[in-house]
Amino acid sequence: MTYPVKGEHLHKKFKKQIVLDDVSLTLREGEIYGLIGPSGAGKTTLVKILLGLEKADSGNVELFEQKPTLSAFRSLGYMAQSDALYNELSAYQNLEFFASIQGLRGKAKKQRILEVAKNVGLDQDLKKGVAQFSGGMRRRLSLAAALVHEPRLYLLDEPTVGLDPLIRRDIWTLFHFLRSKGATIIVTTHVMDEVSQCDRVGLLSDGHLIAEGSPKELTEQYNVETVEDVFLVKEGAKG
Amino acid sequence: MSNLLAMARRIIHQILRDKRTLALLIIAPLLILTLVWYIFGAKTSEPNLAIINYQNSDLLPAFKASDYQRMSPLEAHQALADKKIDAYVDLKNPVKVHLEGSDPSRNGLAMNKIQKSMQKVQQISITKMQTQLKSVIQNQQKAIQAQQQIMKQMTIAMQQYAPSILIAIQQQAPKPEQPAKMQAPEKVSLDVSYLHGNDSLNTFDAFGPAMVGIFVFLFIFMIGGVSFLRERTTGTLDRLMASPIKNYQIIWGYMIGFGLFVIVQSFILTCYLVYVLKIYNVGSIADVLIIVFILSFSALSLSILLSTAAKNELQMFQFIPLVIVPQVFLSGLFPIDTLPRWVQMIGNLMPIHYSTEALRNIMIRGTGFAGWWLDGLVLIIFSLVFITLNIFTIRASRPLA
Repeated sequence: MTYPVKGEHLHKKFKKQIVLDDVSLTLREGEIYGLIGPSGAGKTTLVKILLGLEKADSGNVELFEQKPTLSAFRSLGYMAQSDALYNELSAYQNLEFFASIQGLRGKAKKQRILEVAKNVGLDQDLKKGVAQFSGGMRRRLSLAAALVHEPRLYLLDEPTVGLDPLIRRDIWTLFHFLRSKGATIIVTTHVMDEVSQCDRVGLLSDGHLIAEGSPKELTEQYNVETVEDVFLVKEGAKG
Repeated sequence: MSNLLAMARRIIHQILRDKRTLALLIIAPLLILTLVWYIFGAKTSEPNLAIINYQNSDLLPAFKASDYQRMSPLEAHQALADKKIDAYVDLKNPVKVHLEGSDPSRNGLAMNKIQKSMQKVQQISITKMQTQLKSVIQNQQKAIQAQQQIMKQMTIAMQQYAPSILIAIQQQAPKPEQPAKMQAPEKVSLDVSYLHGNDSLNTFDAFGPAMVGIFVFLFIFMIGGVSFLRERTTGTLDRLMASPIKNYQIIWGYMIGFGLFVIVQSFILTCYLVYVLKIYNVGSIADVLIIVFILSFSALSLSILLSTAAKNELQMFQFIPLVIVPQVFLSGLFPIDTLPRWVQMIGNLMPIHYSTEALRNIMIRGTGFAGWWLDGLVLIIFSLVFITLNIFTIRASRPLA
C-alpha cells in the first residue's frame, strides 16, 4: 500500500489566528477521503498546504512518498474553491490550455478534452464562451479542467457547491468511477449527504482534526445517527 | 518550451476574443493621438487687438486696421472685460498696453504682436528723425551756399582792389576735400539655419515621440496589469501553480503573448503618426518600432510586478496616478533641466524618459543606432529587472517548487 499524500504535524498561523494546529493526515491509495467541517475550519488551507501552494509553518508534506516537486504536479488534479477559469475563452480553449500545460499534445489532447467534457456533461457547450456559462456549468468545467490530464490524485475543494442534486449525483458517480480506475480523491465539503459516499472522512474543527474514520465507524464509535452529530458530541464534550 | 507557447497562445486567444480590450489597445491610442495632433499641431491663433486715442497719432501706420480694431477708450475697456479682445493699445504718449491677462498663452500672443508693431513704431520715428535731419542739413547747405555767394563777390572785389593779398590768402587756404557721399545704411537681415528639424516643426512634432511612449506604456500597463491580476483573483494562477509549469514560463509566456499585440499596436501607431498625421520623422521606422517595442516590455513587466501589490482592478488603476502621471511630466514633454536635482533623479528612473530621448534622436535628429542604443539598453535593463523580480515573486508564493 502506498500513500499518495501524507501530511505530518502541520501547523499554520495567519497573523495571530491559528488555522491549523498539529494536523496529521495520510491518504491511502484508491480511496475517497472527505474532509468535512464548518466554514473557516481550515479545510482550504489544509488542501493548499498538501498541494504546496502554501507553506506550513512547521510539519512535513509528502506527495507520492517524496518531497513535492514540479513533476509530482503532473499526476495531480486540483480544483479550487473558485472556478479558476478564463472568462474570455471558450470552454474548449480553457480545457485546451490546461491540458497543454499538463503536457498533453495533439490528437491525444483533443480526444481527452472531448472525453472529460462528456464526463461532466458539457460536450454540447464546448464552443460557448465561459462568460455565458451558468454557475453550475462553470463548476463542472472547472472540474473537467482538473480531470483532463488523468491524474492519480485529485484534490477537490468543494467540487459540488452550487450544483443541483441531479448533477451532483452524476459527479459522485464520476468520482466512484475514477476511484475504480485507481485514483485517490480528497474532497472537501460541508454537504452532509455526500459524507456517506466517502470511504473515510476527517472532521476538521478550529484547526484540529477531531475525528477520522469511515462514516460507519464514526457513527458507531460516537453512538450517533449521522456523522454531523459527531461534531455536536465533540463540541459538547469540550463545553 | 511548449508550456511557454501554450501560455502565449492562451493570452493571444484571450485578447482576440475580448474585442473591447483589442479596441482599447489599438484604436484608443489612435483617437487620442489624432486629438492631440489637432490641439498642438494647429496654427497658433491670432490675438484680437484694438487701439484707442489713435486719431492724432503719427504711430497709426504701424497699427494696421486688419490687425487692430479702432475703438473708443470706453468701447475698448468693455470689449476687454467681455474677453472680445485680448489687449488694447493706448497710442497717447507714452504708449500704454492693457492686457486681458487671464490666459498666459493669449497674453504672450498679444504681446508678441504688439511688440512687432512697436518695432514699426520705432522705424516710423527713425524715418521721421531722418527727414528732420535732412531738412536741417538742407537748410544749412542753403546758408553755406549764400555765404559762398558772398565770398565770391568779396573775392571779385579783392581782385580789383588788393590782388597781391588775395593770392597770399588763396595759397594759405587749406584745399577743400570732396565731402563723402551719404551712404544708405545696409539692411540687417537674419539668416536662420537648423541643425535638426526645420522651421515647419511644430509643437506636435516635438511632442509626438513622447506621446507615442506615453500611450503605448499606459495601455499596455493597464491591460497587462489587469490581466495578470485576474489570474490571481480568479484562482487560475493557483491552478497554474498546481501544474508542472515553471515560474519563468508563466512570466515569459505573458511577455510573448502580449508581445505579439505590442508589435501590431506599435506598428499601427507609428505608421499612423508618420504617414497619416505626417509627424516630422527623418529616422527609420524600424528604429522607432524597436524602441516602442522595448518600451512596452518594460510597461508589461512593471504592470505584472505592481499587480501583485493590488487586490482588485480598482487598486491596479490606483497605480496610474503614481506610475504614469509623473512619467508624463518628466518624460521630456516639458523641459526638466531647471528642476531640482532630486526631481531629475526620479525622471532618470522612468522608462518613458528614455524612450522619448531615443525617439527624439531617431525622428527629429535622425541619428542612427549610435543615437539610441544606450536608451534602448536602459529600457531592456528595466524590463529584465522587472521580469526577474516577477519570477522571484511567483517563486515566493510557490514554496515547494
